[in-house]
Amino acid sequence: MNHVPTVGSVGALGLLLLGYLRRNEHLKHVGLEVLFLIALLTLPVYVSGVAAHQEIRPIKEVSDDAIRVHQDAALIGFTVMEFAGFVAWAALWQWRRRGHAAPRIVPAATVLLVLALALMARAANLGGEIRHPEILAGGVAAPAGDPERFMTWSINQVAVYSRWAWPAAETVHFLGLSLSFGVLLAVNLRILGAMKQTPFSDVHRLLPWGMLGFGANLITGMFFFVGQPGQYSSSEPFKWKIVFLVIAGANFLYLTVFGGPWVSNGDKRFDAGLGDKAMAILSMCSWLAVLWAGRMLPFLGKAF
Amino acid sequence: MLNWIDATALSTWLKESPSVWAFPTVLTLHTTGMGVLVGASYVFDLRLLGIGRNVPLSSYRWVFPTLAVGLGVNIVTGILLFIKDPTHWGTAFPFFVKMGLVIASAATVVPMRSLVLSSGPEQREVSSNMRLLAIASIVAWSGAITAGRLLAYVVP
Repeated sequence: MNHVPTVGSVGALGLLLLGYLRRNEHLKHVGLEVLFLIALLTLPVYVSGVAAHQEIRPIKEVSDDAIRVHQDAALIGFTVMEFAGFVAWAALWQWRRRGHAAPRIVPAATVLLVLALALMARAANLGGEIRHPEILAGGVAAPAGDPERFMTWSINQVAVYSRWAWPAAETVHFLGLSLSFGVLLAVNLRILGAMKQTPFSDVHRLLPWGMLGFGANLITGMFFFVGQPGQYSSSEPFKWKIVFLVIAGANFLYLTVFGGPWVSNGDKRFDAGLGDKAMAILSMCSWLAVLWAGRMLPFLGKAF
Repeated sequence: MLNWIDATALSTWLKESPSVWAFPTVLTLHTTGMGVLVGASYVFDLRLLGIGRNVPLSSYRWVFPTLAVGLGVNIVTGILLFIKDPTHWGTAFPFFVKMGLVIASAATVVPMRSLVLSSGPEQREVSSNMRLLAIASIVAWSGAITAGRLLAYVVP
């Protein structure tokens, strides 16, 4: 599981580069889709990595500093990877609407992917040093160091000691929830048969607003998680929240790129087939499950 | 009055039942209702502000029954949440700020609904007053969510 982001990114990069080499737009499109899915799967990998840290922390021989260095590196790699995923999604959204993406957006996604890959490789390398301290220069004598220089540590301090940071992030999390939920409601209801007079492309137009809400929630959600990992890493509902997020995210990709309403310029009176309707229902159900698991965190888990 | 509510069996059940189907489910339904209610409102506000201006206003008829469902769920679950701790909420100023914002937000829906119901099949133009109302609606709903979320922190 831990190798999915690195191996998958190499695959996505290969597809994109091959697409450039052969001037094959289709390959680039598939490359962007794979990139988006890998960015999605990086989420459970990152989360499970932090959970592993919680478990090995009591082990004396493991250097706390080595773990912190790895965690910072992983957080940076994760952030760039998610950013690459957002850019890839924006390219796919434009592609669906115009038949091509804006000239610079696919190269931008490619460059971000290369950067994310390099950062994740660095994180993986530093992760190796946790369990194999012999490759650490200085070995056991590695200095404990000043924790303030670590990013994850600072985020943790803000989350625990700031009076306003946590409530403010919770508020943004709920606003983002409402925005993305409303957009998904509109798009999925259109597929299920509401707004029949409206071309599908006009509701598809709303998807970036849903993504905006989701982006706000990913950032605030990561703040909660990095700030108080102990609340979530062994929490059953949190596990389910992540599982349903991955399902919902994959479904969001489908809503963005699926062809039904766009073929033969016929999106005007688009009548969704059974498969598309099933996807719309799955979309609503998986987002409701994300919300349900999230709201139940304090009751079924131990978050507050 | 508040003390009487506090002593009812329903209030005790909400306070003391260890079941996930008691307080946790009521609270989760309240959040879900919020997503439906505010989400559908935001989408229509965005339309009034020009996002998706090709779409005739009459295509947004679905918004209003959806809002009614979300509002209905949240009135019922909101009352239950109040019954759980009536002496707590009934005396907290921030709680009344939230109620004021919710009422103001819901009030913005009324003229929007009559606009959509009276609009012709091809009507796309939105008056500047309606755009202002859309901004007021976004601000009021966001304020209601902010107040609601902060209640958990500012009311001891």
